Amino acid sequence: MKAEAFLREVTAIPGVTGNERAAAEYIAEAFRPFSDEVTITPLNCVVARQKGDGPKVEICAHLDEIGMMVSKIEDDGCLRLECVGGVDPRVLPGMRVRVYTKEGVRLGIVGTAPIHLQRVAEKTKNYSWDTLFVDMGMPADSVRSLVRVGDTVCFEARYAALKNGRAATKTVDDRGCVAIMLEAAQRLRHMEHKADLYFVSTCQEEIGCYGALVSGFGLAPDYGVAFDVCHADTPGAPPNSTSKIDSLVASKGPFLNPFLVKKLEETAKDNGIALQVAVDPRYTGTDADELSITRSGVPMALLSLPIKYMHTNVETFDMHALTEGGRLLAHYLAQVDESWEDALWT
Amino acid sequence: MDLKTLCELNGASGDEGAVRRAILDAARPLCDSVRIDRMGNVIAFQKGRKGDRRLLFSAHMDEIGFIILDATEDGLLQFRPVGDIDSRQAVSKYVLVGEKRIPGVIGALAIHLQSDEQYGHVLDYDGLYIDIGAKNRDDALADCPKGSYAYFDSGYEEFGDGFAVSKALDSRTGCCTMLRMMEKQYDADVTYAFTAQKQVGMRGSSGAAFDAQADDAIVLDCAPAADIRGVDKALKACEAGMGIAVSFMDRASIANAGLYKELMDLAQALGIPHQARRDTAGLSDAASYQRTKGGMRTCVLSVPCRYMHGPSSVIKLSDVQAQYALADAFADARKPLHK
Amino acid sequence: MLQDTLQKLLGIYGPTGREGQVVSALRGMLEKNVDSMRVDTMGNLIVEKKGKPGGKTVLFSAHMDHIGLVVADVEETGYLRVTNVGGVSVDNMRARHVTFGNGVEGVVMCQPVRDETAGIRHLFVDIGAKDRAEALSMVSLGDVCVYAPDCIPLGKYRLASPAMDDRCACALLAELLLSKTETENTIVGVFSVQEEVGLRGAAAAAYQVDPDVGVGLDVTAWGDSPEVKLPSVRLGEGAAVKFMDNSMVATPSVRDALIAAAERAGVPYQREVLPFGGTDGGAIQHARAGIPAGTLSIPCRYVHSACEVIDMRDMESALAILREYVKEPILA
Repeated sequence: MKAEAFLREVTAIPGVTGNERAAAEYIAEAFRPFSDEVTITPLNCVVARQKGDGPKVEICAHLDEIGMMVSKIEDDGCLRLECVGGVDPRVLPGMRVRVYTKEGVRLGIVGTAPIHLQRVAEKTKNYSWDTLFVDMGMPADSVRSLVRVGDTVCFEARYAALKNGRAATKTVDDRGCVAIMLEAAQRLRHMEHKADLYFVSTCQEEIGCYGALVSGFGLAPDYGVAFDVCHADTPGAPPNSTSKIDSLVASKGPFLNPFLVKKLEETAKDNGIALQVAVDPRYTGTDADELSITRSGVPMALLSLPIKYMHTNVETFDMHALTEGGRLLAHYLAQVDESWEDALWT
Repeated sequence: MDLKTLCELNGASGDEGAVRRAILDAARPLCDSVRIDRMGNVIAFQKGRKGDRRLLFSAHMDEIGFIILDATEDGLLQFRPVGDIDSRQAVSKYVLVGEKRIPGVIGALAIHLQSDEQYGHVLDYDGLYIDIGAKNRDDALADCPKGSYAYFDSGYEEFGDGFAVSKALDSRTGCCTMLRMMEKQYDADVTYAFTAQKQVGMRGSSGAAFDAQADDAIVLDCAPAADIRGVDKALKACEAGMGIAVSFMDRASIANAGLYKELMDLAQALGIPHQARRDTAGLSDAASYQRTKGGMRTCVLSVPCRYMHGPSSVIKLSDVQAQYALADAFADARKPLHK
Repeated sequence: MLQDTLQKLLGIYGPTGREGQVVSALRGMLEKNVDSMRVDTMGNLIVEKKGKPGGKTVLFSAHMDHIGLVVADVEETGYLRVTNVGGVSVDNMRARHVTFGNGVEGVVMCQPVRDETAGIRHLFVDIGAKDRAEALSMVSLGDVCVYAPDCIPLGKYRLASPAMDDRCACALLAELLLSKTETENTIVGVFSVQEEVGLRGAAAAAYQVDPDVGVGLDVTAWGDSPEVKLPSVRLGEGAAVKFMDNSMVATPSVRDALIAAAERAGVPYQREVLPFGGTDGGAIQHARAGIPAGTLSIPCRYVHSACEVIDMRDMESALAILREYVKEPILA
């Protein structure tokens, strides 16, 4: 399956943190043709295995997305929302959202008090969860019989192909990286590899990387490779916080094993794949943080896909960076063997 | 291995290689088994004469340091701390950068050139850089690529009335105590864990705790001594020279009440200088041991340390001796013991 | 019954890290009615009622600890300096009567504070000692005091107490274990320690028990006092099935099983979306390779104050839900 076709479909499937079943099932089917076995764990991690006799490697990218939950239904039928993961309420006004009610998906509009009626002091304040609401366009009674506290609310899904191979959609964070894993899994089907490979699309990253933690416990891998998005260059960003959008980024820092990172850089060079380097002095804010300390610990590498406008419904990326990422990952995993063990701590 | 040698090794979180190698070499002749685990901890094991108790002692071998993010077009290295270092402590210090230990200095805009507004603000890491004398960005990154570590170039000296100053006393003092304990054999089975990555969130010890085969974990660390000018009386947590500080609680772990009492009573009975650590701020590797898997009984024995997390932290050597004496007595199951 | 058990438990000293007296009381209560009982290294009380082969293992966790102040230093004048254990609010602590595990009593006061907001370090405890030596003969550094036990009936159905969080859930769990439940499933009751400092006890217990499914039992914040807008939970409208808080998003198959149980039992229940806080349910869900978990909450006003208020009708609703729930703890 081509990455673009996969992304167009998978980003439209709801998978808000903790309620990821539908997205997990879709992703499991996508990996199935390229896997020896595919399972979905009780917390909705998708584990796709390509068997090998060598070291066990867990490659992970998260399938959950940020979103919202109905926290209260006001007397007039407006819905109040609570964020699941880091949703910036300022991106919501005027957005169309999908409300997953007991009778199916319904359209809602994030409403605000009209600007004409706001006082000056209010106009200069940001919108917050207290001032935003969802308008379902129906009487309060109908809302009550349809929507319940706890129902999921998602960003609307659109996919826009932009110039120069760039594209924008929701949930590139982190299904763009799931697409990279899928790309690598397809390539590895036709390559030799010794490692026992587990491509894990993890749940619950957005509220604390729990999917990486529990899947790591379940699999007990020898090494880990985590994938997430990072920030691409945008005007006004603080120094040293962004990367170029056109290629993947390997992280260095105390949480990552220097040998595994060095091998990554070598692989990129040997295969003519562009690879940038970024430094994380402490937390990486990705699955790597938790996977690396499951059980006795897991030596890790971390790769990131630069995107613009993270945690919005217009996350923008470069398709060439994505497919090259798949090629890099495939070549990297094909090299893993027992001899790496002796070199880990030198 | 003496404290001076240990302190003068460089090993910030994630870059513990030099310390790891030194400890491996020192521990091998003294222990039944020594290994490096998945987190890069050194785990040494000594079978006891009786094997009637299973104890674990733990000290972190990593220290605070800096990591290189990038270089400016002028060849100045941009950097961030690894672990918590107050940027005000970093200004105008000598450092060593990268695997080749290239000398450099931490620079900032000269005071004459700062506007009144700039002068009123703390110099933060965005305003500091390491100058190694490079001509331009490529020249700088050739010797010190992104991700290189940098260290305060500040050696170990003894001074005053039995005090010592160095950059990495936290917690090479604990490592030193454990290497000294290894010279003996106890009745108990003893595991010595020299942990990695404590300064970035007690990460090494989480792996050590998962593999640990022990019932009690004693963590040997340093605690900020507040016996210095300008500290509110209510905040004087422990004092240098007043003995080993025993913690009943910190921000990430609560000592087992029985074990805490055992250690305090033991110190009292044997005349080992000791103090209760009168504060619960700070974190220690005890967090990992206390609650990984089914949990262990834990307690922290800290050497009071002034000016922690800077280039010149200060301890009193008699407190390190007290740390050894109490840890040794506990491992030895010397009287009194009421279990 | 439920209220008697609750009142017994409300009177027992048991701050975070010092839960031993609660363990003793629960042991005495439950001894004759369960198949096994043990206290683990951290101090969790783990109680089991065996089911039949083929049944599932369901873990329920209710925490015994509550917030307090630990003695960090004693002044020459005999006043105790303290720091917090768990989420203590200075406003709630001022001018309160407190007790220690050995029965010593004290009052908490705040020193005059200028140019800043009062913090924990400005509080002190007066235990009536004339100097440091006398104070140290009464308490030691590291001892923890808590709001003095109390239980005040409010109106017909409501009770106020400083220990409601989370002894009301301990009472609920004790009653569940004492009652006859018709199920093939094994019920493991964990009375957990150190919840208030980050769900520590439940994490270790879940690791040891390794259940098929876990349910946290805890109080939840209220939305029905003046000017409180969220959450939508109200006192007296039934126990609340948690959808989300800061520690987890409840596993849908467990959450829905709790709702189905409430509907089978024919008792009122509420849906809870909490933008903060955490319960043992979160620690259980993230233990080992991931354990399906949820939380059933008792609506409680003024949490972490000396007058936490619950409604006994919500307790009855919760117990009815749990009795039904154990029959089918997770939806297929």
